[in-house]
Amino acid sequence: MLTEAPPARRPTSSRVVAAPGGRRRVLWPYLLIAPTLLATAYLLVYPLLRNVIISFQQFGMAELIRGGAGFAGFANYTAVLGDPEFWSVARRTGVFTAINVGLIMVLSTLVALLVVRLDRVMRLLVLGGLVLTWATPMIAATTVFQWMFQSQLGVVNWALVSLGFEQFRGHTWFADGPQTFAILVVLIVWQSVPFAALTLYAAMTTVPHELYEAARIDGAGGFRSFRSITFPVLAPMFGLVTCLEVIWVGKAFVQIWVISEGGPGRATTTLPVYAYQIAQSLHRYDLGAVVSMLMVLLLGLALLFYFRRMFREEAAT
Amino acid sequence: MPHRTATALLAMALAIPALAACGSDDPGATPGEPQNLTVWLMKDTATDEYVADFEAAFERDHPEYTLTVQIQEWDGITEKVTGALASTDPPDVIEVGNTQVAQYAASGGVTDLSDKVGELGGEDWLPGLAEPGAVDDRQYGIPFYAANRVVIYRTDLFEAKGIQPPTTRAEWLTATAALNQGGTQGIYLPGQNWYVLAGFVWDEGGDLAVRDGDRWAGALNTPEALAGADFYRQLQALGKGPRDSDEAKPQQTDVFARGDVAQLIAVPGAAKLVTTANPELDGKLGFFPIPGKTADEPGAVFTGGSDLIVPMASPRQDGAYAVVKELAGERWQTELARTMNYVPNRTSLAAAVEDDPGAAAMAEGAANGHATPNSPNWTAVEARNPIKEFLTKVLTGTDPKAAAADADAVITAALNTAQ
Amino acid sequence: MTGRLTRNLLALLVFVVSVFPVYWMVLTAFKPARDIQAETPTFWPSALTFEHFGTAVHAQGFWSFWRNSLLVAGGAVLLSLVVALLAAYAVARLRWKGRRGFILMVFIAQMTPWEALLIPMYVIARDTGMLDTLLMLTLVYFMITLPFTIVTLRNFLAAVPVELEEAAQVDGCDRPAAFRRVVLPLLAPGLLATSLFGFITAWNEFAFANLLIIKDQDDRTLPVWLSSFSNTFGTDWGATMAASTLFMLPVLAIFLVLQGKVTAGITGGAVKG
Repeated sequence: MLTEAPPARRPTSSRVVAAPGGRRRVLWPYLLIAPTLLATAYLLVYPLLRNVIISFQQFGMAELIRGGAGFAGFANYTAVLGDPEFWSVARRTGVFTAINVGLIMVLSTLVALLVVRLDRVMRLLVLGGLVLTWATPMIAATTVFQWMFQSQLGVVNWALVSLGFEQFRGHTWFADGPQTFAILVVLIVWQSVPFAALTLYAAMTTVPHELYEAARIDGAGGFRSFRSITFPVLAPMFGLVTCLEVIWVGKAFVQIWVISEGGPGRATTTLPVYAYQIAQSLHRYDLGAVVSMLMVLLLGLALLFYFRRMFREEAAT
Repeated sequence: MPHRTATALLAMALAIPALAACGSDDPGATPGEPQNLTVWLMKDTATDEYVADFEAAFERDHPEYTLTVQIQEWDGITEKVTGALASTDPPDVIEVGNTQVAQYAASGGVTDLSDKVGELGGEDWLPGLAEPGAVDDRQYGIPFYAANRVVIYRTDLFEAKGIQPPTTRAEWLTATAALNQGGTQGIYLPGQNWYVLAGFVWDEGGDLAVRDGDRWAGALNTPEALAGADFYRQLQALGKGPRDSDEAKPQQTDVFARGDVAQLIAVPGAAKLVTTANPELDGKLGFFPIPGKTADEPGAVFTGGSDLIVPMASPRQDGAYAVVKELAGERWQTELARTMNYVPNRTSLAAAVEDDPGAAAMAEGAANGHATPNSPNWTAVEARNPIKEFLTKVLTGTDPKAAAADADAVITAALNTAQ
Repeated sequence: MTGRLTRNLLALLVFVVSVFPVYWMVLTAFKPARDIQAETPTFWPSALTFEHFGTAVHAQGFWSFWRNSLLVAGGAVLLSLVVALLAAYAVARLRWKGRRGFILMVFIAQMTPWEALLIPMYVIARDTGMLDTLLMLTLVYFMITLPFTIVTLRNFLAAVPVELEEAAQVDGCDRPAAFRRVVLPLLAPGLLATSLFGFITAWNEFAFANLLIIKDQDDRTLPVWLSSFSNTFGTDWGATMAASTLFMLPVLAIFLVLQGKVTAGITGGAVKG
């Protein structure tokens, strides 16, 4: 059995341990982060730099095999930025991310609010279900969705036909752009809600009870107490979870690739899929590098606000 | 509990250094020790027995080598082969499809085997295999085998209805409609078998893409191609083939083996897979060439097949060539053609399969064989195939002209991308 | 407030929606082929069969793929736990110049679209002779999981009262000893939860496994194998679902063994935003 709700942790001050003087003391933190810095430098920054270099080169299959790629200046960047396809993919990625993250946040907030109000048995049941979903590996989950939406023997078509929607007999979901898009949204939301809901639920349990008591005495209803207490107290938490979900959804790749490879047409091609297609299918590694660099930039812009706030908060601690 | 976990983690930590030892084997093997050669063959190219026999025979005849044959999936194969060609210790011989060999040959990562052409009997190689393997008159890809599609049919079901193998498209539709009754599917044709569509398009006098100077343009939105697609639609409706999938998902021979399908379009070798899956169908399978518009010419077919290439980065060039020489030589060619019902790589070896009914139907169809547009970029089209999506749209009721225009845009863009 | 019944019904709905796909997968894996092919699906098997599991397990190389995945994911998680713990301590407990920049770097690192780095990573692996090695894959997964591990561990650490550590130091422990004796035990659930998350990420990864393991087919990992299921099993959804179930098993097993700690951990970790 899963345990009860985690003990409500009183947000302790992250007061810093006093560090008495001495050269060794000053060096300590840098020694502690040295492995992280080294790993990041070699396994992230270095490949990223190589990627930047590739994005300024003429780099196709021949160059990958033989080496000797020539400098191309900004030609690749102008090629990508001048391609209306890129902009439509970027817009689609924005829409895809917004829909998914919106649904994830709303649903997981509702689930978390529900779980807080459940009695023990039901709470354990729901938490158990969420954890099971969360533990299902992405590839396995994606495969199951393919099977459920299969045209001939899929359980979804069967259910719809049984409900009287005769037109779904043998319906081919993955042949239609918007429908494939919708299935991907369902899949990603289904995979992402558990983490967000569990996190928000845990955070809600830390809100002191007295606050709600006071609100109730003031005559506040469910929605008002959420708006005036839960949300403000947990605002940083909502911020963090939203931010993480934006990142995860925005760069979601495996689910889309396995289910639709970005098709039919371009209906489900988001930026990561687009970058992969250009690089791996067209063997234009240079253009693929450009798209991925632009994607990092766009994600960064989308989260700029959050970064700025985080930076300021860190200064305050 | 924490202790137990810690122990488990520690055990894993201790296992890590062992990983480092899993690296690639040393290419510069010491003299006296046999060199290990690796060959990549594609899935369903040959039977397991053929591969095992070849490995054993090769090692016996060439004691200085050991040989490992690895079977590759078609899915994502260009990424794999590109990765292999660019690596420092690639497999020594790779089988690549004849529609894909051109781009590898042009990439500069494949060994030039021009001076071996005579020794390999290159004077009567099948042009459909030899030409894509050559760039600027240098031969990089060595022809391996060819095959084209025929109709595999159930003789018992045809006899029960008193139907003869059709020789024209009109007869074919009538016969298939007659067979498509009760629990029987007239034909199993998945919605995305674009090779079959290509044949119908060529029959109408169209093509998948046309070249004008150095510019390519997709040609699906032409009256010829749309007529071909329309015939595909009529035929496809006479069975339960999924409209949004190709012949590999599900494996069409498995579907055929279930026993309620009267016809299947496949290479003749597929008949073996069918009878292996369902031995009851042994002796009940016949073959006829895909019917053309008139009885005097069979339907156009795509000449499929494979070439063998040797990655330039392989440090075992001599061994690699030894493998190519065997596989492209008379003994293993004859053996492969017999086992798999292929057309051997040389016309002089064709006698090997002439008494086989499947091969006879195939040879008849091969007279009207065609190739995919001859551009090194064609692989890019196949990798994310707009023709498959075009077909699905046509079959699910989208306006064919609009669907064709969409597909053409993708084809045009892919073929004109500089490599 | 909604009534108790409504709440319980809603809870049941949430449970069913979240569990159904998993149930369907496991059910299909155990169903006899005739049930799977039936026009009307059954929600309870007429008979249980292990036949599909047999097909999956006997598929060529299944066990070595399993072992590879376990080694790579386990190795990556362990490495990232050790490295992240050091960094998280520095961030949560010490004050130093460049700390804010470091945190920002970690957060940005989390954004990396890894598939974009396939080619540079391939080139680097090739040039250092690390192609076709599980070690390279382990290192990549380590880096993929590291940023998240640092962020969550830091939050866990911040939740452990500083006073405890100070008390231990007063009692004569030096800082590492105080950390080991006082903080580490309190951190255990957090470590487990974080490592599970990292494990799932690495266990799932496909693109790098597909490109960095080229010639040494025995070094392939499970996702690569599973993704080619349609080629491996054709229409055999039973075997495919059995393979998926087996794929899910280790993650589930770890969950069940660590259950309470992990839930507390998942939830506790992110609490301090």
